[in-house]
Amino acid sequence: MLKRSRGRWFWMRASLPVAIVVAIGLIAIAMEPLAAQGYTPREYGDFPIIGSRAAIWIAAQLHLFFAAFVLGVPMFAVVAEAIGIFSSDDRYDKLAKEFTRLLLVSYSATAMWGAVLVFGLITLYPGLWGYLSEIFAPSMWVYVGIFFFESFTLYLYYYGWDRWKKGRAKWGHWGLGILLNLWGTAVMLIANSWLTYMMSPPAEVTPDTAPGMVQFWSAFANATWMPINIHRFIANIVFGGAIVGAYAAFRFLSAKTDEERAHYDWMGYIGNFIAISALIVLPFAGYWLGREIYEFNQQMGTTMMGGFMSWLWVVQAFLIAVLFLAGNYYLWIGMGRIPGAERFMPYTKWMLLVLLIGAAVWATPRNMIANRAEITAMGGQFHPFLGALGVMSAKNTAVNFMILTTFLSFLLYRRANKKAVVSWEKRGTTIQGALFVIAAAVVLFYGVYGYFVPNIVRIGFSVYQVLAVITAIVLVIVIDMLMMRGAKSRGEIRWGEMPERSQYALFILAVTFTWLMGLMGFARSGIRQHWHVFEVLRDTSVDAATPALGYASIVISVCVLIFLSMVSFIFWVGGLAEKPVISGVGGGATGSAPVARDQEI
Amino acid sequence: MTNIKILGVMIGTIAIYTWIANAIPQLESVVPEELSFSSDVSEAELVAAGAELYSGGAGCTTCHGLETRAPNLLTGYGGEGTIGTRCGTRVPGQDCKTYLHESLVNPMAYVVEGGFDPMVFQARVFSGAQIWALVAFLQDQGGVVTVTGADVAAAAEADAAAPAGGPMVASNDPLEIMRGNLCLGCHMLEGEGAELGPAFDGIGSRITTDRIRRSIIDPAAEIAEGFDHLAGSMPPNLADMLTARQLEVLVDFLAGQGG
Repeated sequence: MLKRSRGRWFWMRASLPVAIVVAIGLIAIAMEPLAAQGYTPREYGDFPIIGSRAAIWIAAQLHLFFAAFVLGVPMFAVVAEAIGIFSSDDRYDKLAKEFTRLLLVSYSATAMWGAVLVFGLITLYPGLWGYLSEIFAPSMWVYVGIFFFESFTLYLYYYGWDRWKKGRAKWGHWGLGILLNLWGTAVMLIANSWLTYMMSPPAEVTPDTAPGMVQFWSAFANATWMPINIHRFIANIVFGGAIVGAYAAFRFLSAKTDEERAHYDWMGYIGNFIAISALIVLPFAGYWLGREIYEFNQQMGTTMMGGFMSWLWVVQAFLIAVLFLAGNYYLWIGMGRIPGAERFMPYTKWMLLVLLIGAAVWATPRNMIANRAEITAMGGQFHPFLGALGVMSAKNTAVNFMILTTFLSFLLYRRANKKAVVSWEKRGTTIQGALFVIAAAVVLFYGVYGYFVPNIVRIGFSVYQVLAVITAIVLVIVIDMLMMRGAKSRGEIRWGEMPERSQYALFILAVTFTWLMGLMGFARSGIRQHWHVFEVLRDTSVDAATPALGYASIVISVCVLIFLSMVSFIFWVGGLAEKPVISGVGGGATGSAPVARDQEI
Repeated sequence: MTNIKILGVMIGTIAIYTWIANAIPQLESVVPEELSFSSDVSEAELVAAGAELYSGGAGCTTCHGLETRAPNLLTGYGGEGTIGTRCGTRVPGQDCKTYLHESLVNPMAYVVEGGFDPMVFQARVFSGAQIWALVAFLQDQGGVVTVTGADVAAAAEADAAAPAGGPMVASNDPLEIMRGNLCLGCHMLEGEGAELGPAFDGIGSRITTDRIRRSIIDPAAEIAEGFDHLAGSMPPNLADMLTARQLEVLVDFLAGQGG
């Protein structure tokens, strides 16, 4: 029965991309005789009640949510499987399989929303769709082809898990995981080229340029393509980790046995670890993207940072503050189940203080759109005190301190139940401390010095600040790994003995990541303003104006609610078919595993 | 009960974010209206027209952006605020409107000190009404718009009375042609000019004579490698401001600039 059911699902999923291609082909064939009769296609269609823009917005956002999840999860599934192979620790292999099980059930939802988006564009924005498809047709065919390969690779990867479990077959199976990631990345790169072309078309393309005359490669590899690729690549990992964390939290809260609770506690920790680790890197990719947008078109950059979107960054800062606080809060609570962690607990209040101050500085706006009365009340364009905290010097300093603090939380968590046995432990810890202090000093120095130099010099300082932080993180990790080799255990981590409130932090993380992703999608798309393709193809529809943040937030919230509802349903359905794969950590697990095994990630 | 709690946390979190986003000032990016340059033009229309010119055809943002080539007009410069707040104090005894207008029609008159490039705005390319629209937009950046329909009408009359077209300079000397047409405001030749666009030094060895001619007649046709970000900043009607002889003199001169 189960086999038959699996087979039916398999063919339904596999046939979806084919159905899309066939449908597009049939539409094209149907249009040809009409064209011969002098038929002129309409520019825009109508969607009832919510309008065409909201309909496309929701379809695109939901497709992206699912796509980000199914691109992010394979990355750490394959890493977890590799850890399992190299360490011969079966827990990681089981974890990787469970990740992939989540992936499998999400895949068809991604394809379905992709189909909704394509048909939405064809019916509601036929003019834009025709324009883009004339430029990008070859890449669209390749896209669908790769999507097909990706689907089959995923089915082989998941359904072959138990068959190719040992020896060389296992390596082959791991190779399938890598191949799956390659297909997924290729699909993302292609889709990114379409949307970045709309943002930053090549300089030689003007409103008079016929789409057939646009050079494919210059349109494909446009100015913001690679920054978006990198930014999305990292963001997908963050997003995947957050959703996996929320899944684990749900399973933890509904667990019936200690063994299950221990397993999902561990899984939640790993999801949070992945999400926060990648989040630490994400602002750097964001700065690069922002700089490229400025380089492409300064007016676009100004619109984004200082124009009608300026308030959006205040909301973004608030959301990121929530992410840092929730991530750190989860770690600090988690220390309660680690013997030996109590010696670090007094430091958490100071770390909390740094995070709160950092968040407040980051949320301080610099150049707001203000009316004359407000400017007069402030005594100028900038607030006499807060204006000084709104410049990049202060913000970069704040975010780098928040990153260092979060890294310190991870480090303390990692070391909580370990006792180093190397002779140079004291010296090593001193060096680690010195690295933190040096990094903080460099960040602070350039933060203050930035106020005394021109803007362009100040922008360059952010590179030094980032380098100082990254260098400190890398060196501290290396020292820590060497120092903790063969470390003694202060006691086994009591996986599963986690207060329920910690799991709600994981839900808040997942909701906030998802909402933030929607917000940033609005920012990226909204800076085109009344252009489908910036300064090339004008939006002449009734929805050409870019809405205010209030309206955008409602659409984003609707998307997040639909996404989370569907994900909950999909995970629940996935849970019906198979029993959860219990890894055997803590809880019911027995024996005295070396401490390092508990926290290899 | 657990599921209800989870649902409550999730919906509560979403509701808080939605509330915050709705509680802050709501700014919509409206579509620019059709431009009107008649004497009954409104302040809002002038500002909108100026905004479109500023970010588009006038090419202002090429230099007035990150304060690398020129002061940033929209975000404040040197702690003095946006251009609308500081324009009235730049030249003693000169009001904001006059200062901005003079800065546009005579770009080299008030170049801000600080090692910035020469200003290369081609006022001749634009109508008097367009110049006033730019002034209105710049005044609106933190200041009070004092440009009126009367200014626009007067400018339109002056445009109508002015002789049509014609070269910027009468000379057929290539250097005079380049200086008169502000070519050296962006291109460097033997130490003279600015390093904004590709240097004229050695240009004859880098591109063909035909391409030099085409670059003058249709600057957007082919952008020099590495200068994509400046596309659109070279005046598209430069050739209209040259006589046939001046064009050929210029092309020959540049083609002769070997390595």
